[in-house]
Amino acid sequence: MSLTPEQQELGRRNFMRVLAGTPAVAALAGAAALKGPVRGGPVRVGFIGTGGQGRTLLEQTDPQFAEIVAICDINPLQLAKADASLAQTKHPPAKHYADWQEMIQKEKLEAVVLASPLFTHADIAVACLEAGLHVLSEKMMAYDVASCERIAEAARKNRRVYEVGHQRFYNGVYQAAYEGIVKAGLLGELYHARLVWHRNGNWRRHAELPSPDYDASRWGYPSYDHLINWRLYKKYSRGHMAELASHQVAVAEWFFDASATAASGSGGVYRFKDGREIPDHTYVTLDYPGGRTVVFTSIESNAFDNYYEAYYGTKGTLVLSGEIDAFFFEEPAAGEKAAPKATAIEVAAKGAGPVGSASESRARDAAGSGAGGGAASRGGDRNLSYRNEISGFCAAVRTGAPLKCGALRAQGAARSCISGFEAMDTQTRIVIKA
Amino acid sequence: MDPTLSRNQQITLVVLRTLIGWHFLYEGFTKVLTPAWSRAGAPIGRFTSAGYLRGSSGPFSDVFRSLADSSLLPWLDLVVAWGLVLIGLGLMLGLFTQLACASALALLALFYLSALPLSGVRDAGVEGAYLLVNKNLIEAAAVAVVLVFRTDRIAGLDLLRAGDRARVAAVAEATR
Repeated sequence: MSLTPEQQELGRRNFMRVLAGTPAVAALAGAAALKGPVRGGPVRVGFIGTGGQGRTLLEQTDPQFAEIVAICDINPLQLAKADASLAQTKHPPAKHYADWQEMIQKEKLEAVVLASPLFTHADIAVACLEAGLHVLSEKMMAYDVASCERIAEAARKNRRVYEVGHQRFYNGVYQAAYEGIVKAGLLGELYHARLVWHRNGNWRRHAELPSPDYDASRWGYPSYDHLINWRLYKKYSRGHMAELASHQVAVAEWFFDASATAASGSGGVYRFKDGREIPDHTYVTLDYPGGRTVVFTSIESNAFDNYYEAYYGTKGTLVLSGEIDAFFFEEPAAGEKAAPKATAIEVAAKGAGPVGSASESRARDAAGSGAGGGAASRGGDRNLSYRNEISGFCAAVRTGAPLKCGALRAQGAARSCISGFEAMDTQTRIVIKA
Repeated sequence: MDPTLSRNQQITLVVLRTLIGWHFLYEGFTKVLTPAWSRAGAPIGRFTSAGYLRGSSGPFSDVFRSLADSSLLPWLDLVVAWGLVLIGLGLMLGLFTQLACASALALLALFYLSALPLSGVRDAGVEGAYLLVNKNLIEAAAVAVVLVFRTDRIAGLDLLRAGDRARVAAVAEATR
């Protein structure tokens, strides 16, 4: 077609006039795609494991963020308790499953909250990730280092959100301590941290059989005792290092911005010689680059110290106690003899309200099995941490918001704690390879 | 096209129309999209005008409040959300421009009447203090300008609609 220059100019003007608004519509679409809201309702979640920890998470699930579609547990008694928790927290009833594979096949889930025994974490998490589900897993990440790597790889390969429930990362006290004290350099040079989780009581649990003909072997346990006391047997558990230390070690590695390079330890079954294999007294030392050392102790014979983390720097000491209190003490200046003085920094407001239910992460278990209490039996803020954790996970699923404790961070803490357990178990010093 | 309008006046009118359209379209988009999540990770519930209607003030508030609990509410929500989208698209693209302007005026009139700014002080949830004149009224006035100056004849897809093709050529010819 041959057009005169005048015709070409006329054609261009016609085109521009008619489509004058199109660039603006395209600009709006682009801006909305970058900054506008993301479509989607609450994340459709299934719970795998509704024991104490699972129910705590379930009770702290905000229905605006997650819809609890189904719950799964091999123990019907736990499912009944979970039903009560759902009713109490005004969640609609959820469908029951005993088999998690059946649940993820039959239900249209987007994510699972995994609160099953440690040794099952890897198989379940990997299968869920492979099935396209996002996973919020209870601590510790997995039983061994290879399993942690398997999970991280499955999450990466399937581009799914994977987070580990070290709820301190969602705790305002810890966030304020990190930003206001650690990152601000108020501790000076930091060479030592002490992680303490002391209890006075028996970790062994006693529970009635769900029914007279209940067969624990169907689920791979030789007895019902193994099923409810899996924490006490090496086949399933890493003891205090997984159930308690991993929370505190994950924070230490956050504050240090480093992973442990070596572990040594001692411990044993000193008090409760009832056939358990997992030590009731644990003493582990973790080495970090730059001459930094973390000492973790957990005993089941005295609850005076309860649980806390203390960071000792050349300029000050930070104590994080019971997940609700933070204290900062300045070191005396050179030549000054006075004892360290508190600066009266209130890192976060204290919460109120009862602790929902017992778990290894809770002060109520300071006596070993829920009989204790004492100074750290307040609560509120801890529950808020769980609530924030689940909400943060759901936000990551929907919007890609950054995780606070994703695979990488959880993997580091797990590697350190697994090495610590093995060092204690073998009474050797283990060099940890990154 | 009004030959008395200069090129700059024409451009200004079309820009004004586009901006109003953008406002309507994005307001509608965020309502149609719900339930949704903010980029910061906060859930946004399904859009409903119930809260807005319940907060109605002024001499017509009883009518608007009664709508909040009526069976018409789901339809009203649908009409508001999609109405905003369609009006916005119409204004931005210059498609059914006059109808879009009239509809925009109707919606803005309803918004204005449902919450007449009579207090003269800053009310809760409102970013400024208004007395009789607020942003809804000003936007309505702007839409009226777009309507009466026949921006459909200046630029947009309306120029292509049946019977208007000749106008396209005429407009182009007139601006050569």
